[in-house]
Amino acid sequence: MLFQFSNITKTYGDVTALDHLNLDVPEGAIGLLGPNGSGKTTMIRTLLGLVSVNEGSGRVLGKDFRRQQLEIRRDVGFAPEDECLFPHTVGVEFVAYAGELTGMRRTDALQRAHETLDYVGLGEARYRKVESYSTGMKQRLKLASAVVHDPKLLILDEPTNGMDPAGRQQILELARDLTMNKGMSLLFSSHLLPDVEAVCSYVIVLAGGKLLAQGEIAELKQVHRHAFEVRVKGDLALFAARLERAGCAVSEWGEILKVVLPAEASPQLIWAAAADAGEQIRHLRPQRSTLEEVFLSSLEQA
Amino acid sequence: MPVFDQGYQHWSGTLSGHAWRWLAITRHGIRVALGNRWLKLALFVAWLPAIALAAVVCFWGLLEQQSALIQSLLPMLGFLDREMLLDPRAYRMEVWTLSYGYFMLTELRLAMVLILLVGPNLISQDLRYNALPLYLSRPLRRIDYFLGKWGVIVSFVGAVTVLPAIAAYVLGILFSLDVAIIKQTFPLLLASVCYGLIIAGSAGTLILALSALSRSSRYVAMFWLAVWIGSGVVSGVLLGIEHEARRHASRRLERGGSGGVTAPDVESTRADWRPLVSYTANLARVGEEMLGTPEAWDKLAKLRPGAERDMTRPRTSSAPTPWTWSAGVLAALFGLSVWILHRSVKSLDRLK
Repeated sequence: MLFQFSNITKTYGDVTALDHLNLDVPEGAIGLLGPNGSGKTTMIRTLLGLVSVNEGSGRVLGKDFRRQQLEIRRDVGFAPEDECLFPHTVGVEFVAYAGELTGMRRTDALQRAHETLDYVGLGEARYRKVESYSTGMKQRLKLASAVVHDPKLLILDEPTNGMDPAGRQQILELARDLTMNKGMSLLFSSHLLPDVEAVCSYVIVLAGGKLLAQGEIAELKQVHRHAFEVRVKGDLALFAARLERAGCAVSEWGEILKVVLPAEASPQLIWAAAADAGEQIRHLRPQRSTLEEVFLSSLEQA
Repeated sequence: MPVFDQGYQHWSGTLSGHAWRWLAITRHGIRVALGNRWLKLALFVAWLPAIALAAVVCFWGLLEQQSALIQSLLPMLGFLDREMLLDPRAYRMEVWTLSYGYFMLTELRLAMVLILLVGPNLISQDLRYNALPLYLSRPLRRIDYFLGKWGVIVSFVGAVTVLPAIAAYVLGILFSLDVAIIKQTFPLLLASVCYGLIIAGSAGTLILALSALSRSSRYVAMFWLAVWIGSGVVSGVLLGIEHEARRHASRRLERGGSGGVTAPDVESTRADWRPLVSYTANLARVGEEMLGTPEAWDKLAKLRPGAERDMTRPRTSSAPTPWTWSAGVLAALFGLSVWILHRSVKSLDRLK
């Protein structure tokens, strides 16, 4: 298990940030989803042992987060959401300092800082003052300083906030590489569903401090029995009209038709319509929920 | 440039324990501060009094041995009493004490300049650049953070007070060629080191607290100037007003023709609270007591005839502020500083 929460409650005065939260999360790439104020940041701070919870217990990487905070933080790399910098340092000094704060020797930290800056693509800017970095560079700098000590768990809090598409893609590629190819567990907090879907295989959905859903993304994206994606060789519009005449609800998504069959009907209806029209079906598969649909339906149920 | 020029490599080194983690913050703070050339210049200037201190104690060692090296310089020592020149060993402790006293007093002023150059950035910049989450999300406690920042000030102030005091002491012993000197003067070394640490500790905590009050280092520098120079000026003005009032009262009584002990005379024997307003005066007063300079002045003053005696003892000529009062003020400032730090530099256990 990557981490476990057992009945965790955390309040700030009248505000309940985490409400009797129970979690068992396996190792791997974990997405943490939730609207603003859902408790994501408090959950991350709880994992790091930075907040004292009102109730409950839990373990992170097998360590009790109420008693072994420093040990946990040694095994975890964290890139906070906000813009935060060690002032008056150049890039390589910034990352090396982060390593030293974690307990690395100065020489090790410097060597490792060069390696991680090369890895995140900031090798050319390593001797520039960090205050002069762009938003994207600062995010990559935070990532480099989070992995400088080679943590077992990397926590990225809204890492793509305010970034241009190219910079966002770079961060996602780095996160994916670290988790898929380098065996590092990842907790990726974001409210951008495509980002989570691009990197993570498991997701936790929070709202109002409560757990709404958790599980493998592939399992959460359920198969619809009466909705299908269809692509044909010929005229898409003509075939759509034929299906509508047969009682289906049809919508066009580029080259694909999304077809919802009438109740009691089977996919045979689509095959029959194609045969009648002399059309070739090139693609036919049951439709799956998107992560967005999963997220929205979780919120609605809450 | 492609992102993956060089792949990610795992690291298999070992991490140190938590006990000395604050040292990383101190080392980093010193490295950053030394990037300021004005600070380097101030450090250089602050070491000059140390050379003077070392020169005096070494010279006195040679004088004790009646060394031929300094015979040509003896005519220049006319300002010293004949008895001191005839038996320098008997006045060794007083000469050393006053030398260390003047040295520490000078370094106290120079330390204020050093702190002005180093201190304001320490916490205010971290607040401005929101660096606290970066610190506290690592295996550090808040106390480690404070200790690390405090260590920066203590290092610089210690470098111009404690280190020169020790270096001068070692040189003085080497030049005296007398083992007995260690037994006699070691308490002075101990007092100097402790006093240096008190300056560093008190001023370090105070500047950290001021630095935690604002995100702008300029404002913090102004706060520091107000504490250092402003409090001294206010104290001076208060003393001046009180002195004038006493003079007027004295004239009135003289005109009234009352004999014997006057009210202002009684006042003048009482301890005065006005020097307590000055931060550096409090540090200086505690230093005087720790190093024992009033006693040294008293002994040297006895060598002079009555009229000159008071001029020889400028610091003991009026009723001094009790050193315990000054220590109390410093302790209160320390407590206040710790409270400010506790309130201003919060943990992450709060809502954003």
